[in-house]
Parts: sequence; C-alpha cells; structure tokens
Amino acid sequence: MSADSRTDAELLRLVGTGDRFAFEEIHRRYARSVLGIALRRLGDRERAEDVTQDTFASVWRSARRYDPARGAAASWLYTVARNAIVDGLRRTPPPTVDDPPEVVSPGLGPDDAVEADWLAWRVHRALETLPEQERSLVELAYWSGLSQSEIADYVNVPLGTVKTRTRSALRRLADELDEELR
Amino acid sequence: MKDLRELIGDDDVEPVELARLQRVHDLLGKAGPPPELPPELAATPEPPRAQVIPLPRRYRFTAVAAAAVVAAVLFGVGYLVGAVPDQTVDRTVTMSGSGGASAELDLFEADDAGNWPMELRVDGLPAGSYELWLTRDGELAEPCGRFAVSEPQTTVPLNAPYRLRQFDGWVVVPVGEQEAVLST
Repeated sequence: MSADSRTDAELLRLVGTGDRFAFEEIHRRYARSVLGIALRRLGDRERAEDVTQDTFASVWRSARRYDPARGAAASWLYTVARNAIVDGLRRTPPPTVDDPPEVVSPGLGPDDAVEADWLAWRVHRALETLPEQERSLVELAYWSGLSQSEIADYVNVPLGTVKTRTRSALRRLADELDEELR
Repeated sequence: MKDLRELIGDDDVEPVELARLQRVHDLLGKAGPPPELPPELAATPEPPRAQVIPLPRRYRFTAVAAAAVVAAVLFGVGYLVGAVPDQTVDRTVTMSGSGGASAELDLFEADDAGNWPMELRVDGLPAGSYELWLTRDGELAEPCGRFAVSEPQTTVPLNAPYRLRQFDGWVVVPVGEQEAVLST
C-alpha cells in the first residue's frame, strides 16, 4: 500500500489547486504506467520518455478539469496519457522499417491493442500500490527469470518467506484489480 | 511463465482464493513487466509554468544552436542601438574636490514620471564606494545612487526621481559619511 493513503481522485483535486506534493504522488503512482503504454504504442524509448513528460505536464495543467462524477481518476489519467501519445505520433513520424519498435504486439487488432494497453495500465498501477518489499518480489518472481530459491538467496530471506510474501502481494493485487477479475 | 504453485507454495489455499490468485497471476503474465524509469523520469518533473510546446529530444541540439544564434544577433542589435545616444542632455553640472578630483554630471531630459536619467563621470577619486546626493541648504537631502570607483576615471549611469528645483546643489560622499569629497 502506498505511504500516501489519499485516493487518486483526491490527489488530482489537489493537483488542480497547484499542490506540488500531490503532483509528486501522482507521478510516483503513474510514471511507470504511462511510460509502459507509451513504449507499447510508440515503440521508441526516447519518444516514449518525451510523451511521459508531456503527459504529466498535461496532468498539471488540466487536473482542475477532472470531475470524479464522470469517471475514475485512473481512467482520466489513462485518457490524458493516450492523448499525449497521439500528439507524440503526430509530432514525429513512426519509426522506419529499419528501426523496428522496441516493444512489438504481434497480431493485435486496434481493439485488442487498446484492451492490452488498459490491462497493462491497470496492472502496473496496481503494482505501485504494493509495499516496496512485495513489489520487488513480484517483479523478481515474474520477470527476472530467477526461481523462488534464487530470489530467496538474492534478497537473503528464507524461501518460505518469499512465497508467503508473494502470496500476500498477489492478494493485494487481487483486491486492487477487483474489476478486472470479474 | 512459472506455475502459480511454484510462486506461492503448496500451503493450504482455499480453492476460491486460489482461483482468484490464478487470475491475478494470468493478468501479470499478460501485462508484462513495467518499464524501469530512467533517472530523468524517476524524479517528478517541474510543473510547467505555462503552456509549452515540447520539442522532441532529437531536435534539442538544433534548438539550442538556433537560440544561441538568435541571442547573438539580438545582442549585436542591442549593442549597436545602445551605443547610439538617444537622449538629449538637458544640462551639465560640474563638481570639484580636494586633490584635483572632479566630476561632470550630465542630466538628460526627464521622463513623463519625473525621472532624470544622469551620467556621472568622476576623475581623480580614490578607489572606494560613493554616493551622489542632492543637497538643500548645504545638507544632504536625497540620494541619487551609489557607485564604486576602482580606476582614476569612472563613468556611471544614475537616476534622480525628484523635482530638481527643490534642491540647491550636488555632492559626492563616501558611503556612510556626510563629508563631501566632491561638490558643486
């Protein structure tokens, strides 16, 4: 769970009043999610990083227009990020054939791609809600290629503890991703 | 992808709970790893002060070079324009002091607000910090600016935002002192 217990909607309302600390917390929660979908869409790290910066500049400018009655804060932020990506695509041409995308989504139609983006957005955002200890364990377990025994050695805790913490992390993620699990 | 059981162990987990964790497990597999933030994104960006049109990084060198050229051109134009005097001297006041020290004070035409731009040329004052004052009845009345002297001859722009007819003389005093080293 984040050290800051305020909801995204509360933070956006504060950002709209010029609260720098709320802006920092929103950035902490969403920077990796934004960069993630920017990379998926643009396939170019440099452009994706530019778009990520543009997204948070837009959040700062537009947060006062966010209306919780019209949707969840995560959805609003996702829309801001996607608009920044579209602007990024307009501003610079896509990579040439000789410069293939960094991340490829083979065989996905437009609707599937949007759904995959949204899923990644939600999952990556949910990861940010985990305590740092559990988040790093999940990332090691799923994407490092290490076995749980190797992870136990790496983080210097017993194997049973690694598994217990991983289960605890998955439970938290299940709570956070309740809508996606229905 | 690894098996869920391998990750969380074989301890008793209710089937309903296990199914729920399995769905999370599948979602993590579909979502893939979140990217690592580069240092420039790890820190919260400065909130923009105004609407800006960000320039793609690949054009930033060009933009910096173009900005440098524009700055150089503007500097040149400013230098040329600034070198041409565009003010008319309304009157010149001379001051003298001990040891052959002297000064000339050019008073330019006052602006609409009543500011009198001036240029003071001093000659022969010892190095130090000085102030130009307007006097009334031989007393320091209003300050007109502070300046430093390090060369035998010094020229400085100053300003007197006063109605000069209310005063009867000018003096230069060392900063913090009352005794004039130059006077009209």
